[in-house]
Amino acid sequence: MRGDPLRFGPGIDPAAPLARANPAAKLAVSLVLSVALLLTVDVVTAGTALVLEIAALPWCGLSPGALARRAWVLPAGAVPAAWAAAFLGTDSGATLLVLGPLTLTEGSAQAGAAVALRILAVGLPGVVLLSTTDPTALADSLAQNLHLPHRFVLAGLAGLSMFGILAEEGQTLRLARRARGLGGGGPLSRLRSLFGVVFALLVVSLRRATVLATAMEARGFGASPHRTWARPSPFTRSDTAFCLGGLALALLATAAGTATGSWHMVLS
Amino acid sequence: MPPHEQDTRTTGSDETPIEPGGGRNGLSLGLPWGLAPGHAATIAAGILLGIAVRAVGLPDTWELFGTSGDVLTTPVALLIALGTISVTGAVTARSPWRVVDLVVAAVIGVAGGLFLWGIATSWNALTTPLSFYPPASAGLAGLWLVPGVLGGLILRRPGAALFCELMAAVLEAVLGNQWGFSTVYYGVVEGLGAEFVLALLLYRGFGLLPAMLSGAGAGVSLALLDLAIWYPTFSASYRTAYIGLAILSGAVIAGVGSWALTRALARVGVLAPLASGAAAERV
Repeated sequence: MRGDPLRFGPGIDPAAPLARANPAAKLAVSLVLSVALLLTVDVVTAGTALVLEIAALPWCGLSPGALARRAWVLPAGAVPAAWAAAFLGTDSGATLLVLGPLTLTEGSAQAGAAVALRILAVGLPGVVLLSTTDPTALADSLAQNLHLPHRFVLAGLAGLSMFGILAEEGQTLRLARRARGLGGGGPLSRLRSLFGVVFALLVVSLRRATVLATAMEARGFGASPHRTWARPSPFTRSDTAFCLGGLALALLATAAGTATGSWHMVLS
Repeated sequence: MPPHEQDTRTTGSDETPIEPGGGRNGLSLGLPWGLAPGHAATIAAGILLGIAVRAVGLPDTWELFGTSGDVLTTPVALLIALGTISVTGAVTARSPWRVVDLVVAAVIGVAGGLFLWGIATSWNALTTPLSFYPPASAGLAGLWLVPGVLGGLILRRPGAALFCELMAAVLEAVLGNQWGFSTVYYGVVEGLGAEFVLALLLYRGFGLLPAMLSGAGAGVSLALLDLAIWYPTFSASYRTAYIGLAILSGAVIAGVGSWALTRALARVGVLAPLASGAAAERV
C-alpha cells in the first residue's frame, strides 16, 4: 500500500476554482456527465465531451504529474476494450485488416474508437473531481446539502478514518508473519499467506469498529434525531454555476452527437 | 474443521429468537417467522394481486417504451408479488440500526472498498487471458459482489448489503479506477440486487443457501447493468452466457465466500456484539 491515498498527494491544489466547489455540486456534475455519456456509444458525443473536459482541466487543481498518477487507469481500461470492440465486435463496412480470425472493418474500427473515447470521457470527470474532494467535506455535504441520514453518513466517515490505521496494521501483521517464517515460498503459499493477512486485518478492523462504536455512543452519537454541525457546508452561487456548467457540457456534447447524426442510444 | 452443533446453527434460517406475534399489538396467533397478522396479510395480498395480474393479463393496447402490455404481464405480476414481499420484509425486520451496526457496516465498506480497488487495478490482468470468449469475464463478476453480501450476512439489518456495497464502490471510485463515477451506479445496483433477495427472505434467512441466492441476485443485477452500459453489442447467446456466468460467479464467489468468511469471523468472536454473532454464539 503506497501511503494513504485518501490524503491529497503532491500536485493537488484543493483551492483551485473547480476543486473547492461544494462536493454535492461535484457529485451532480459527475452524475450528469456520466449519464449523458453512458446513454450513447458514438465518437462525436464522447469526443466532444472529452475535448471540453480536457479544456476545463487547468481549473481543476491537478498538476500533470498528479493527473497521470490518478488517471493512468483510464487508458489502461480503454485500450483493451477498444481492441476487443474493434477486432471481436460485429463487423460492418469495408474490411481494413485481417489477422487470422481477427478482422478489422470500418464499422468495427469506429466502434472501437467510440468505446475507447467513451471510457475516457466517462472516467475523467470522476477521477479529477473525486481526487480533489476531502472525505470530511464530502460527508458534511452529503448530510447537510443532500440531507442523507446523518447517522449513516457520519458512521461512514468514522469508518474511513480507520483507513490509515489499517494500512499500518497490515504492515505490522506482514512483519509479524515474516518473523514467524510464514509467507515465503511459491505463489500458492504466498497467496495463502495473503489470505491470512487479509483475514487478520478484517478481524482487527472489526474489533476497532466495536470499540469506536462504544466510544461514539458514550459521547451521545445518534441519540438525537437532530444534530448541529461543526463545519457548515454552504452551497453558494458559484456551486450553482459549476452545476450549470456541467449540464451545459453534457448538453453540448449530446447536441454535437445528434446534429451529426452519430448519437446512438445504447439500449436500442 | 469438524462440524459441531454450535457451528451448524449459523446455517439455519431461523436462528434469531422470535418473539411470538412480533407486532405492537402483542397478538400471538402463532404465525411463522414471528410475523404480525397485518404483515402476513399484506404479503398474502401482494401475492394474490400478482397472481390476479398474471391471470387477467395486461391490455396489449397499453405500451411502455414500445413494448406492449401483454408481453409485460408476467414481469409486472412478479414485480408486484416480489416487491410486496421484500418491502414487507424490510418494514417488519425487528432490528433497528444501533451505532455498533453503523460503524461495523462502515468498516466493512472501507475494507470492501480497498478489496474492490485491488480487483479494479488487476482487472485487466485478470480478464485479458479470458478475452478469447468475451462473456467469460463474467465468471469473475462475483468478486465485485463480496462487500454487499458479506455486509448483509454479518449485520442482518435491512439496507446493510446496500450500504456496504455502496460505501465500498464509492471508496473504490475515490481511490481511482478506470470506470470513474459509474462505479457508484454499480454499487447501488449490486447492493440492491443482494438486498432484494435478503428482503424476499424477510431478513430471516442468513445461512448458506440465502447467501448464495443473495450473491446470485447481485450477479443478475450486475450482469444486466454491464450488458446495458458496456456490452450493448453482444449477441443473444453471449448475453445469456454472460448472465448465467455472473449468476454462478455471484453465488459461488460472493455467496459461498461471504458465508464462509462470516462463519470464520464468528469463530474468532469479533461478531459477538452483532446479530450474526449472537446467533452463532457458543453456549
